[in-house]
Amino acid sequence: MIQPQTHLNVADNSGARELMCIRILGASNRRYAQIGDVIVAVIKEAVPNMPLEKSEVVRAVIVRTCKELKRNSGMIIRYDDNAAVVIDQEGNPKGTRIFWCNPPRIETIKFY
Amino acid sequence: MSEDTDDMFDDLFKKYGKVVFKGNAQKYASAEVDEDAECLSFAVALAKVASDVKASDIKLLFVKPLVYWTRFFIIATAFSRPQIDAIGSKIRDLAETQYGRTATGDHKPNSWTLLDFGDVVVHIFLPPQRALYNLEEFYANATLIDLPFENQQTFRS
Repeated sequence: MIQPQTHLNVADNSGARELMCIRILGASNRRYAQIGDVIVAVIKEAVPNMPLEKSEVVRAVIVRTCKELKRNSGMIIRYDDNAAVVIDQEGNPKGTRIFWCNPPRIETIKFY
Repeated sequence: MSEDTDDMFDDLFKKYGKVVFKGNAQKYASAEVDEDAECLSFAVALAKVASDVKASDIKLLFVKPLVYWTRFFIIATAFSRPQIDAIGSKIRDLAETQYGRTATGDHKPNSWTLLDFGDVVVHIFLPPQRALYNLEEFYANATLIDLPFENQQTFRS
């Protein structure tokens, strides 16, 4: 359940440390985003000397949420934090490595 | 280090262990090997198609021991977006007509295009992106499988 003003951790090595969601993409009046959804976010905290700066507006894919995700198989996935991966307009990740364990199969992201 | 812990667990298991629960979802080893072989033939066919459309530096990696969500990676380089489009559509056609599998993933040609067939995942890169993401190094522990055809190793550009 990610909505505007939600702060998210960053799960890759793109250089951002914390994001704040400002818009959910996909529909005009959408309230919440789930794992796998694309959001527009602003960088609230960044690692020094990296290409991404604070207060830059980026797109991101959500990869972990505290709110549980139900799969059709009956599997329920829930994490301890909210996290996202920074992507560009094409959908390619800005960072080159993603830190996660047991990634859910997300279609909007190039997983590796 | 892993061997040490493995040995330790083996010893502990010999001393105290017995199997108290076994899921019925477990497959026989032979079925697993059969599936692997089937996926391997599928992957080699896909790589062959990519090579026919002049993709270069094609690598087939057996990543099943490393990740749980797939068995084979095909990594290929193309030199332009139209070529990526051509490779992608040819692979999709072959998979649909001969193997009855459909891919999820990118439908438009991106600089990194991914086709996900479940057991086989195809990555098609432009040369700069291939160098940037460097998947071969990330999966350096995976077994590299030799392809039975002429592989264009050299970059022309």
